[in-house]
Amino acid sequence: MELVNFRIFGAGLFSPEAEGTTVVTGPNGTGKTSVLEALAYLGTGRSFRGAPRESMVRTGEDRAIIRAELDNNDNPTLVEAEIVPAGRSRTQVNRKVVQGRKELSTATPCTIFSPEDLVIISGGPRGRRDLLDDTLGFLDPEGARAADVVERIQRQRAALLRQSGGKVTADVVSTLDVWDHRLAASGMTLVKARERLVRDLVEFVGPAYGRLAGSEGRALVGQHYVRSWDDDLLTALQAHRSDDLRRGVNTVGPHRDDMLLEIEGREARTHASQGEQRCLALALRIGVHQLVLSRTSVIPTLLLDDVFSELDPARSRALVAELPPGQSILTTAVPLPEGISVAHIIPIGQLVRAS
Amino acid sequence: MYTGPLRALIDELGRLPGIGPKSAQRIAFHILKVPTEDAHRLSDAIVVVKERTTLCEQCFNVAEGGAWCAICSDDQRDGEVICVVEDPRDIVAVERTNQFHGRYHVLGGALNPLEGIGPDQLKVRELLARIDAGQIREAIVCTNPNLEGEATAMYVARLLTPLGVIVSRLASGLPVGGDLEYADELTLGRALEGRRRIEV
Ligand SMILES: [Zn+2]
Repeated sequence: MELVNFRIFGAGLFSPEAEGTTVVTGPNGTGKTSVLEALAYLGTGRSFRGAPRESMVRTGEDRAIIRAELDNNDNPTLVEAEIVPAGRSRTQVNRKVVQGRKELSTATPCTIFSPEDLVIISGGPRGRRDLLDDTLGFLDPEGARAADVVERIQRQRAALLRQSGGKVTADVVSTLDVWDHRLAASGMTLVKARERLVRDLVEFVGPAYGRLAGSEGRALVGQHYVRSWDDDLLTALQAHRSDDLRRGVNTVGPHRDDMLLEIEGREARTHASQGEQRCLALALRIGVHQLVLSRTSVIPTLLLDDVFSELDPARSRALVAELPPGQSILTTAVPLPEGISVAHIIPIGQLVRAS
Repeated sequence: MYTGPLRALIDELGRLPGIGPKSAQRIAFHILKVPTEDAHRLSDAIVVVKERTTLCEQCFNVAEGGAWCAICSDDQRDGEVICVVEDPRDIVAVERTNQFHGRYHVLGGALNPLEGIGPDQLKVRELLARIDAGQIREAIVCTNPNLEGEATAMYVARLLTPLGVIVSRLASGLPVGGDLEYADELTLGRALEGRRRIEV
């Protein structure tokens, strides 16, 4: 993987081992996490740290480039992303512009574990929806496409609402009607795909949580998809239209839905300890990874960003035991737990070439 | 970096669609190298196309020397069926199929609020005026097979169906997210043949 003007890297080259574990070492603040962030960007189109585009571009530069050569089941794949804060960012796979999340995750399949994952449990619903939609990219082409389409319609619809300035002309009504119909159709496809996914995930997340927390039994974890509207989506959109027009935003739709996570019947977001939340976040990531392995021939690269510094030795060992073989890349600020066989160590300083 | 006429040329080229700063520089330096008469042919072609080519007053296709385009002026074309497209280039794609013998209506884009394009920015009122004039019985909407094109197709269908016009849409089979102008004539021909009425 080659980095150009990505975060602190003017130019950098990173060559992890194809099999086994590559460890990136170095003091804090030298860009270890940025290496994983760049790889994960290729697979998801955004920063796993939740960072805005401009913060991924080196200060004083107008764009960053990430270029990676991957070998997916013996298919050589060239993935190139251009991050332009002021313009249109885009990703190309084998020189063809990528249209959606399925193509991203197929070209650069990865599963990321990071201390920021805690926010998936403790934060707002967006992180939980993103986790679901990214997973659809691996498992459900129709659902993944619906997620792309819904996102695009929401942006078109929001632009239309803003432009109307609250004035309800015949043109506004007739064009809103059209967007609402499309949103209702793609929105229901998306929601049903997410609901199926949540049901499938709980089979993996529950047991993983049990093993990580040292308490067997998957009845501990509850996972439910929660729609943010009642009845039919088209009816709900029409019922909230005057509200939408007045406020200039989309108030109803799949972009307001949530995934409710429970531990022993208590809502994890509000009623779990931080230790339990951390454990559940790991279990979610493991669950997604194992579900993908069980359903597809894809083996996502594991990216572990300094996760062991947040875990006690017992949980660290439990996490290592959960991780299947394959390519993994990790950064760490503490000694690695037993059980990880390191294939390659790359000091971060070796990545930075003279610009 | 560059100044004077060279800078001006690079700037103008860079304003063209699909041409970034690097390509603009490359083309500008290429033009510097070519024989003078080649450069004149290029600049003449640009001037002449602007002087002699207009948009058809009826369908907004490209028209050469006259108020109407060649298709609108052709009595042999079926005046009861029109094909509604986003762009004059799409007419070329549909014509290549040899499967359509009616006339056209160029909207000049698709609904796209993010780019500030609503019904007012498209030739929608002009389309309604043509329907009002009476002759048109069927409209085939051949907007691009992407989200904005699909939304535009539905918008047109909801507008024209109450006026007694049969509104149909190309059968699926075109690459989703693509542009009509890149579709090969066989695929597009099949899509035309298998067109379906849009439910509104
Ligand atoms: Zn004409």
